Amino acid sequence: MKRACVRYMPLGAIGGPHSLRTRTVVVVAAIVCAFTLSVSVAYGYDELTPSASAGCPDCHGLESGFTSPTVAPTRKGPHGGYTTGTQKCQTCHTVHVAPAEGVLLLPKATIKDTCNTCHDGTGGNGVYGVLNARGITPAAQHRIEVTNVVPGGDPGGGSTTRTFSAADDYLTCSDCHSPHDAITVNAFYGDRTRTSTDTTYPLSPATNRLLKKQPTSSPWSVDEYGSSWCGGCHEGRMFGSAGVINHPVETETAGFYYDNIVRVTGTGTNATELGSLGGNNFGYVMPITRSAQQSGHYPICQQCHEDARNIGDTTPGQIVGAEVFSVTTSDGQNAANNPRFQTFPHESENAYFQVEENDDLCLNCHIPPG
Amino acid sequence: MMAERRRLHLTQRQGFIFLAIILAIVLIALIIYLLLALSGGGFTRSGGEVVEGLKPLLVIEGPGEGEKPKFSRPMSAAFGADGNIYVSDSGNNRICVFNGRGEFLFEFGEFGVAKPLPGAQNSWAEGRLNFPLGVDVDENGNVYVADFRNDQIQVFDRDGTFLRRFPDPLQEVGKGSSGQDGTGIAVTDVAVWAGKVYALDAYQVFVFTLDGEFYAQFGKPGSGPGDLDHPNGIEVADDGTIYVSDSNHNRIIAYAQTGDVLWNLGEPVSDIAKEVEYTFGLPRGITVLSDGSLLVVDAFEHALTRVSAQGEFIRRYGRRGTQPAEFNFPNGIDDTKNRVVVADKENDRVQVLELVE
Repeated sequence: MKRACVRYMPLGAIGGPHSLRTRTVVVVAAIVCAFTLSVSVAYGYDELTPSASAGCPDCHGLESGFTSPTVAPTRKGPHGGYTTGTQKCQTCHTVHVAPAEGVLLLPKATIKDTCNTCHDGTGGNGVYGVLNARGITPAAQHRIEVTNVVPGGDPGGGSTTRTFSAADDYLTCSDCHSPHDAITVNAFYGDRTRTSTDTTYPLSPATNRLLKKQPTSSPWSVDEYGSSWCGGCHEGRMFGSAGVINHPVETETAGFYYDNIVRVTGTGTNATELGSLGGNNFGYVMPITRSAQQSGHYPICQQCHEDARNIGDTTPGQIVGAEVFSVTTSDGQNAANNPRFQTFPHESENAYFQVEENDDLCLNCHIPPG
Repeated sequence: MMAERRRLHLTQRQGFIFLAIILAIVLIALIIYLLLALSGGGFTRSGGEVVEGLKPLLVIEGPGEGEKPKFSRPMSAAFGADGNIYVSDSGNNRICVFNGRGEFLFEFGEFGVAKPLPGAQNSWAEGRLNFPLGVDVDENGNVYVADFRNDQIQVFDRDGTFLRRFPDPLQEVGKGSSGQDGTGIAVTDVAVWAGKVYALDAYQVFVFTLDGEFYAQFGKPGSGPGDLDHPNGIEVADDGTIYVSDSNHNRIIAYAQTGDVLWNLGEPVSDIAKEVEYTFGLPRGITVLSDGSLLVVDAFEHALTRVSAQGEFIRRYGRRGTQPAEFNFPNGIDDTKNRVVVADKENDRVQVLELVE
């Protein structure tokens, strides 16, 4: 082992007491300077000053899947629409001063924390924590950054472990959502008619919620949000192999998805139509005996798994008793409205994200045999 | 007769001891400094270099003591009449109070739910908060807090003693609001001016008396002039002009006391594919400076934007980063005597700064 090359000079031999004082000052000054320099930050390039000639795509190109900023003319903030004239990348990414423990040059240590920077409820409704703020401990959650075990993830039945994008391969927001609106599903009418504000925009209130066509670990890509989208991870819920029989669901290959289901047209009738699941409750019942349009079809996942709400009384096979609530105020925040916004599929006050619980759910469609 | 000059002579051993003592003192001083700087508590006097027109005066990262020595996403801050600084420590559901030198004085508030869903417990009691956002202080020193997720405003005296709350979070307000279940108001920010309390709802401005009596409301959803979408900053100028950060519309709106629109600066995003140089990324907190101009916190630009009282862009201050006078998704702001205090949310701190031209 080599010793550091340091010479220890006899102090008194260098030049007497004045030299001693001088050397002391120099040593102290050197220590102070070294400390000061060690905590300073040098910037080699000012990435924050807007410059039309230095947009991020100039160096990094467009996001994979983009050929042009072709997102729909709805509000997406920094989530898409990147051009040589925009400066949106820096909203979420910082080139030189990202936290050392972070990822992807994001401002926070994890993707979830980065998303929560804005999605905390002050710019819309929040995502996680909404129920806790109302005194409810969620009965179900898509737990983020705490697990990579997928219930029903094994095509042969049972749970399985998958590889997602957060640390330790855990599930995180960007496994289902594309923050860059890249390769996302077709727009659909949300569970609620979103806000009265949106109705003033040039197009419909439809949104793709930045959902990826192919969530991380999904073996297939889908264009429409429906059962096949959920089944990308919960594959075991889509098949009946290994002796497992699941409640059958429609898939998008059968032409049934969130915006294209058979639904009753109104209360007190058994007339049906093809339409959106969003905005009312009429799509949440598939009673037996079924109408001609319903015949031969099954529900999609979201007809039973959605925001918790009252979709009908406990009258068996209650097509005539279907609830008539629909959204009439912005964000469905009126207590008389139904559906009311909660935060599906992030957290729910009902177990397994069920619309209703226990027999109350089953009896919407089924009449117990005599 | 000239006095003989006495010269100090040190032996080699004495010189070594002298130097060792000096080095030991320096080392101890450095250790103390490092402990203070890295202890994660309290405040640090900044006094750093001017950055993009901002001279850092003070950085406060939390009380520096107790069970929660650090802030968690502070969303707002305000100066009191006595120069104290009130910080809305949103993630910790409390208000922390510091003196003008940044020394921690006391805190008040804890988590409480005033609007439980069916089956949940009402855990609210006087002074309990549920994600507090905006804060303002009146001329008597009373503190008004936007108790966001409880859909109400709470008022405390200068010592943090609860005085009253309004509106009733379980009752409809005026002609209706965006409070959960349609009651109370989804209040993001408050401003006290001339005996009135101005508060923001998701799509409206509400005005109350200091005692909490409903007085007026204006604004509505939509994207036309004066329409609002989740505003997050409100302030009233000396002449009574009401300035609102219409956050999701990327603009500032000036209203007369009647609710009539005086001007808009910025415009809602109508076509994301259109290449437009927008004035604001995400305007949040807002304050009126002594010359009548506005200082707006732009959370997406990580900067402060100055706007004239006539609605003209003047300049930007600050930049993104973690050093003094740099920001990471800042949110709230207030000013006094040429100083501004900024809630630097994602840096989990507040900063006191001076504008330098």
